[in-house]
Amino acid sequence: MGVTATIALVVFAVVYVFIALEKFSRAAVALVGAALMVVIGAARAHDIFFSEATGIDWNVIFLLFGMMVIVGLLRQTGIFEFLAIWSAQRARARPFRMMVLLILITAAASALLDNVTTVLLIAPVTLLLCERLALVPIPFLIAEAMASNIGGTATLIGDPPNIIIASRSGLTFNDFLLHLAPIVLVLLAAFIGLSWLLWGRHLSYDPVRARAVMALTPRETITDQALLRRLGLVLAAVLAGFLSHPLTGLEPSVVALLGAGASILVSNVEHRVYLDEIEWETLLFFAGLFVMVGALVHEGVIGDLANTVTARVGDHYGLASQGLLIGSGVASGIVDNIPYVATMAPLVHDLVGPATGQAPHHQSLWWSLALGADLGGNATAIGASANVVITGIAKRNGHPISFWEFTRYGLVVAGVTIALCVPYIALRYFVLA
Amino acid sequence: MLAETLVEQVPTVLRETTGAEAARVIAEYRLSGLVVADDAGMPLAVIPGSQILGLVLPEYVRDDPRLAHAYDEHGADELCGALNRATLGELLETKRLTASKPPSVLPEDTLIEVASVMDGGHLPLVLVVDRDGVYRGVVTMSRVLAAIATAAGQGSDLVRSRLERDLYRDSESE
Repeated sequence: MGVTATIALVVFAVVYVFIALEKFSRAAVALVGAALMVVIGAARAHDIFFSEATGIDWNVIFLLFGMMVIVGLLRQTGIFEFLAIWSAQRARARPFRMMVLLILITAAASALLDNVTTVLLIAPVTLLLCERLALVPIPFLIAEAMASNIGGTATLIGDPPNIIIASRSGLTFNDFLLHLAPIVLVLLAAFIGLSWLLWGRHLSYDPVRARAVMALTPRETITDQALLRRLGLVLAAVLAGFLSHPLTGLEPSVVALLGAGASILVSNVEHRVYLDEIEWETLLFFAGLFVMVGALVHEGVIGDLANTVTARVGDHYGLASQGLLIGSGVASGIVDNIPYVATMAPLVHDLVGPATGQAPHHQSLWWSLALGADLGGNATAIGASANVVITGIAKRNGHPISFWEFTRYGLVVAGVTIALCVPYIALRYFVLA
Repeated sequence: MLAETLVEQVPTVLRETTGAEAARVIAEYRLSGLVVADDAGMPLAVIPGSQILGLVLPEYVRDDPRLAHAYDEHGADELCGALNRATLGELLETKRLTASKPPSVLPEDTLIEVASVMDGGHLPLVLVVDRDGVYRGVVTMSRVLAAIATAAGQGSDLVRSRLERDLYRDSESE
């Protein structure tokens, strides 16, 4: 390894530590790291902007940007609040039934929106419902954070690691649906069962308080029905755009941008409404991250690592995919899964190449990476952004969730869900392939 | 017109005052803000009335204002009862309320100086403290606006009455 490569690796490791510590803005840390890569000559300006292999992955950036605009406008309609209160009333305000419906709504929403947005939408209405029922909201909030991580695993757009994996591997929206949605449905069913064991059997029902929930007026939360209809059509068109990629050849980022433009047109709102919803810090973080990882690719660090792993793995892809599944799960529980996947995606690409047209046992590495990284985030209170957001909301509303309170449930859920993926990977990509 | 012409006495509240009591004081005297005082009656802070209004909203409704539409009448009234359970001191400590160090003007400051201090601090009232540090009372926004209206030729009987009456002192003597 040359001098530049060594320095690049050190810079990357130090930046990674600072990102994990969460003492500074992660965007600032990532951009400083990117700048250092340029200074030491590991990243070149032309490559940063125009190289698919070593530069900023604009597909990821603009897919995120487009979906942020669409979701930012959609949340103005009050539809999520309506769905949550309506479902609680459908459950007759029975606590565990309500928890199950909120889990399902959160998981479904998270498959279409990003996890953080989903929990930001579902947490306030959950607090309202629990306050009406005189229930401690902590189990509900923890369950929703976990449901968002599980549900987001099902689609290309549901979780940022999936977006990165799709961009690197060439996997499409339909590929994610075909390969991950089935196992996610199984995991959700298992998670609901776990929820009963962990929390549900301890929840008590008060018929007097239940009347307070039944008296809520969910329809009033939809403040603009016409806007809801228009944006609903746009969202349906965007999903159709994702699904029809084999026919149109349109990248998800292009579909998302077109959808964002259409959403703005049909909304007729002040630009501040949707611009305020864009997480600029997240986008800048991604940009910095891509530059740093690209520098490692450019300097051959990733390539050398891939060669070492290839030599060790040989033909034992079964062992490799299980190792990647479990290893990714452990790593994602400890550190943010986004920089982890951003680093691992080029490594897996060097190991097995793009997923398109690959044999199942080769492709299994991509799916193992996605499942491990997405589900591992449930393990600890800091393992996923949705977890951090939920604990912050809980604290602000007078119901603090300690690190260990979240983690003792998280380790169980992450362990069980990843364990269920082991036979799935083995059967689907090796035994039955 | 000078600050000493506009000064009036307003009721003060203590850190032990509950949110509901604070709301009552504002409503009784039609104040736009509250002066929080220490046990010796010296002003410590000013809390705008809009913040007291915001206390009735749970944090999650502040996070998602659309949820305010979901409450029925009974539920909404129940929320108001929550104001009885917290004191201003507790709300300041938990940062549900943010109080400002009260800006002050001198008794001889002009109307424009008073308006400037009020505007700069975004506060509905300022203290009047003389050069010896003696607290003389407050100048409220409604009095300042009444003075401005009069100076601009828009005086009326109601405006003159506002300038002449000290709501708190008059009510205490009744």
